[in-house]
Amino acid sequence: MKIAVFGAGLALIAIGVRGVVANVDAVVWLAWFAGAAVLHDGVLVPLVLAAGLATGRLPAPARQAVRAGLIAAGCVCAVALPLVLGYGRRADEPSRLPLPYGRNLAIVLALITVATAVTVAVRVRTARRARREGRA
Amino acid sequence: MVRRPPPLTRPLTTALTVLLAALRAAPSRLAGRFTSRLHDERVAAWLGMALGVSLLSAFATGLISHFMQHPPGWMRWPSRPVNLYRVTQGVHVIGGLATVPLLLAKLWTVYPKLWQWPPVRSAPHGARRLLVFVLVGAALFQFVTGVLNIAYWYAFPFLFTTAHYWTAYIVIGAVLIHAADEWPKVRRTVMTRPQDAVGRRAFLLTVAGASGVITAVTVGEAFSPLARLAVLAPRRPGTGPQGLPVNKSAAAAGVSAAARDPGWRLTVTGRVRRDVVLTLDGLRALPQHSARLPIACVEGWSADADWRGVRLRDLLALAGADDAARVRVESLQTFGLYRTSRLDPGHWHDPLTLLALDLNGDPLDLDHGHPCRLIAPNRPGVLQTKWVHRLVVL
Repeated sequence: MKIAVFGAGLALIAIGVRGVVANVDAVVWLAWFAGAAVLHDGVLVPLVLAAGLATGRLPAPARQAVRAGLIAAGCVCAVALPLVLGYGRRADEPSRLPLPYGRNLAIVLALITVATAVTVAVRVRTARRARREGRA
Repeated sequence: MVRRPPPLTRPLTTALTVLLAALRAAPSRLAGRFTSRLHDERVAAWLGMALGVSLLSAFATGLISHFMQHPPGWMRWPSRPVNLYRVTQGVHVIGGLATVPLLLAKLWTVYPKLWQWPPVRSAPHGARRLLVFVLVGAALFQFVTGVLNIAYWYAFPFLFTTAHYWTAYIVIGAVLIHAADEWPKVRRTVMTRPQDAVGRRAFLLTVAGASGVITAVTVGEAFSPLARLAVLAPRRPGTGPQGLPVNKSAAAAGVSAAARDPGWRLTVTGRVRRDVVLTLDGLRALPQHSARLPIACVEGWSADADWRGVRLRDLLALAGADDAARVRVESLQTFGLYRTSRLDPGHWHDPLTLLALDLNGDPLDLDHGHPCRLIAPNRPGVLQTKWVHRLVVL
């Protein structure tokens, strides 16, 4: 069974590679292929790890919520960045990228921040109460 | 573990030896420095399962889109359900966007494995790592090019559709091998209950929440009732000439003058009993029919509109076309990949398939294909040919 799946997988990879070599500038394609992996592993993940280290200093009740907020905000930014930069705009096609994406992204990030802040406040209060009751 | 260099007399050699020893020791320690307990088999397995389902759905919907646009000779797409392509392509694009947090979370979870030491233990281990690199590179390639493409940012020098299509096979092949390879871990994860109180559920819910936020701010470009929520989508249903977005303007297609020319005629020709040549008034004098059909773009957005015009089957009957014939619809465009499109018999017999003259109650805007355009059910937007001037029966 496993061998059959391996065979099918290798065949699909071979089809894809053959298609790329035959139809796309393979050198440029390879640069984007490897470049995406290198930038992800060499830049994006280290940034995330640094954010993890920095938020590690936060008090425990706040930490998880802040990290969750950062994950959501980071993912939204990754998807929205090309819209905010707006290189795809064309003067003769105003219905393409018609919105003020910078402002909209700021609003979404503000909402995520508010949700995070509320969660942190609730968690800190709960933790404080629990500590007080534990002492009493 | 720090290795002590042997005592040496020359300082330069000493320094070099220390450096080499440190370099040799560093990677082996590095993997141990990832202290989060979420870099964990169970987290990776749950994310992997979700990612597998997402990638398979993207592959299936992507193939539908590809083969609708490039059907092999034997293939016939049905003209119903009307919204089939709209749904599959919406799932492809919005689902793809929602998968971004899953992919990033999965790669973060297994990141310490990148620094395992020694990097290659044996030939099978090396082959396995190479396949993981292929999987990661191809998956990131698909997501980066996809996200850039729907924002119309053609930063890459290759043709998006071609590269995205062929790379999809590499992703799916590598996913199959990876899934077969990791199957015991998946089984273990699903069949056993963890006893270690690691906060996996909170992390997985966070990732799902990030996917939810992305879906919420984009899905309205395909699902019109939520259009006002689509604040980070490249399109907004209702925005554009006559309340409908435009993908290619008359200016960009280079047809502004030809489409306004009063000498414009529609010609039905090819394997017909008699050629039919009609002016715009002649076209309007034929029986007019209405249809509510979506423009469903390959970039994932879609929007309904009210179209009015002549049924294609009426025009072809007028010319005496064979019932089983295929038809090529030709635009005034002199260049471009999509200047013509092909209609199978099932599609042109459908009473909803029109050569539209009006959109939402008014004559077609120049950018929507004036004097007339094709509009048919269950069909990608790029094949709804605009500025039509010839129907060739094949």
